[in-house]
Amino acid sequence: MGAPSDAEVIGRSLGEPEAFGLIYDRHAATVLRFLGRRAGARVAEGLVGELFRIAFERRKTFDASRATALPWLYGIGSNLLLKHRRAEARRLRASARMVAAESTDRRASAAALDARLLFPRVADAIEGLPDDEREALLLFAWEELSYQSMAEALELPIGTVRSRLNRARAHLRELLEPKGKGRVRSQ
Amino acid sequence: MKPVDLARKLRRDAAFEPAVLGRGKEALMAAIRQEVEPRNRPTVIPQLPYADIRAALTFLERAFGFREIPATRMEGADGVVHHALVEFGDSVIGIGTQGAHGAVSPQRGGIESQYLSVAVADVEAHYQRARAAGARIAREPRGHGAEAHAYEAFDPEGHRWRFVHQRLREVTQERTSG
Repeated sequence: MGAPSDAEVIGRSLGEPEAFGLIYDRHAATVLRFLGRRAGARVAEGLVGELFRIAFERRKTFDASRATALPWLYGIGSNLLLKHRRAEARRLRASARMVAAESTDRRASAAALDARLLFPRVADAIEGLPDDEREALLLFAWEELSYQSMAEALELPIGTVRSRLNRARAHLRELLEPKGKGRVRSQ
Repeated sequence: MKPVDLARKLRRDAAFEPAVLGRGKEALMAAIRQEVEPRNRPTVIPQLPYADIRAALTFLERAFGFREIPATRMEGADGVVHHALVEFGDSVIGIGTQGAHGAVSPQRGGIESQYLSVAVADVEAHYQRARAAGARIAREPRGHGAEAHAYEAFDPEGHRWRFVHQRLREVTQERTSG
């Protein structure tokens, strides 16, 4: 007999609320890293408590046919992050600066120089995506969620997730193409 | 390089202290216990209006020892706090928005229409704490040290608070019932 699934634990927590602590033990570190990547450690610390309290209050609505609660927690986290767009934008730019700096440290090649110019622009471009596309892109590229998990997190059909991601990619490419449709700022 | 790979490259793991996980667990379990054993909430809850609720919550905690009840804070999408509950002993006070429900902060109204009387175990210690946190004292404590039995102070928006020794209330009750 293996450990009980998240769905079983959440089911049990309806009668025995303290059982919900196990959901925290299983996923809090992952969720905290997710929030931290997006909004920075300080904001993440405040949000993780709120996220699990919301999850606890809404545990009746968890779809018991899902084995793992993680996509559901990502979904609650994504909504909470919308309130913290500014912290998120700061974090994204800081990441871009770090990646660019590392690239130039290693070797002052032409490619590294490109990276230094490119990454801050990628950060700006991601920041400039519509909320729903940005969310899809970051869940896919940062959290490496599968289409199925993203569909659960965003409460959308898989087909919609796929098309949203495609739109995000197309938008991003458009924003980054040097010879795009004039939407990229000149350097 | 594909856009998605670029985005992936920007991925940065945020470091967090292990203690953060522990604190989060404690907060969650406290919220859960609250649901398990709903405490007897008082029947009457005074509602105090403030123009700056965040500042009021911070002050009431630091100066007077009130504690915000977890998960009672109502916030707008813009991050503005509209209402929260604070507790002290077995009592609860609502901290609300100036002007809402017709209630006016003394800062705006220029007059206090009421004051709140709070029973504390150690008046002198409470007085020192409030003073250290910058509370404007309206009436100095009568008596000193363990003898101190009441003082009054204003919060930053001019609500008047009276802090009375617990014993004093008990004595009064005995007298009225006897």
